Amino acid sequence: MLAHSQMLRASAQVTTTPLEPRAITDRSLDPLLPHGIALLDFVDALLVGSEADLIRAREKLLEDMGSASLVDAAAVVGNFQMMNRVADATGMPVGKGTLKRTKEWRELLGLDRFNHL
Amino acid sequence: MVQWDVFDFSGSQVPVRSDLGQAFRRDWNRLALPGTWWSGSERVAIAAEVRSARYGTDHKDRTLSESAREAARVIGVQPATVRRPWVESVAGKLGYPRYIEITGIASRLVAIDTVHDGIGVEREPLPEPEPGEPSRTAEPLARPGAAWVPMVGGASITQALSLVDPEAVAQEDLHGPLYLSYEGMAMMDYVAGLSRAQMELVAARTSAINECFY
Repeated sequence: MLAHSQMLRASAQVTTTPLEPRAITDRSLDPLLPHGIALLDFVDALLVGSEADLIRAREKLLEDMGSASLVDAAAVVGNFQMMNRVADATGMPVGKGTLKRTKEWRELLGLDRFNHL
Repeated sequence: MVQWDVFDFSGSQVPVRSDLGQAFRRDWNRLALPGTWWSGSERVAIAAEVRSARYGTDHKDRTLSESAREAARVIGVQPATVRRPWVESVAGKLGYPRYIEITGIASRLVAIDTVHDGIGVEREPLPEPEPGEPSRTAEPLARPGAAWVPMVGGASITQALSLVDPEAVAQEDLHGPLYLSYEGMAMMDYVAGLSRAQMELVAARTSAINECFY
């Protein structure tokens, strides 16, 4: 999460896209990205929602963004289902330098609660 | 070989880009064939164990040892609960290479099944295993390091499975079609079905739900 939350910030900065990064870990907030709420709803429904939640979130994403975006969103979730498992199963550490540089960012998003190493 | 019409997404209500189906077929072929430390039957049994644990599907096969089944279930369903003593215990019984091969099989299966669930199509039946013996090829350059398992070079997510090189290759082969190639990750202004920022929002939220700090 640390790596890709930082990539999210970098991408938003490069493309001058508004962003509320705390929405990653706090669903009461709007991420501000175009269609951000629909994307977050889709991820939540796919990973921890009911079948009805998923049908609703999928339809909303299709209506708002179209089929190519739905397929890409499902594929990205799939990729990180894979990479999260690889990282956790192998005990992949975050480097000391990265930990030092990202202290404020981790505090902003409340990420240290996920550090199991 | 896996049949040509596997992953053709003919039942999908939305068009699915062809590179996804091609990548999934390559992975199914790998799954069915003898691997490095597990036979084709054992590899498919590992996948069946993961599916059984994730979806509650019936699975009475006892091809695998209890340690192998436990590793498949935990990595498939509860990866955030994995801790170093558990890895050392399981790898102590199976050996690190067999543990890594299970990690590769389980993680890719979950990725492929998640895509199917996301777009609303039936998950593909597991392939019929191919006969033959695993190659049992050791990776001479792998060493213990900062991570919990030996790998080639410094601890890095792209090298995480390098103790069993075909598993690292398979991970990279799926990573590109699902998200971006390792090289393509430098493109912060990339746009396809999603913008790069939207992709990263999805990636970060997935990791948050999975409680994956990395």
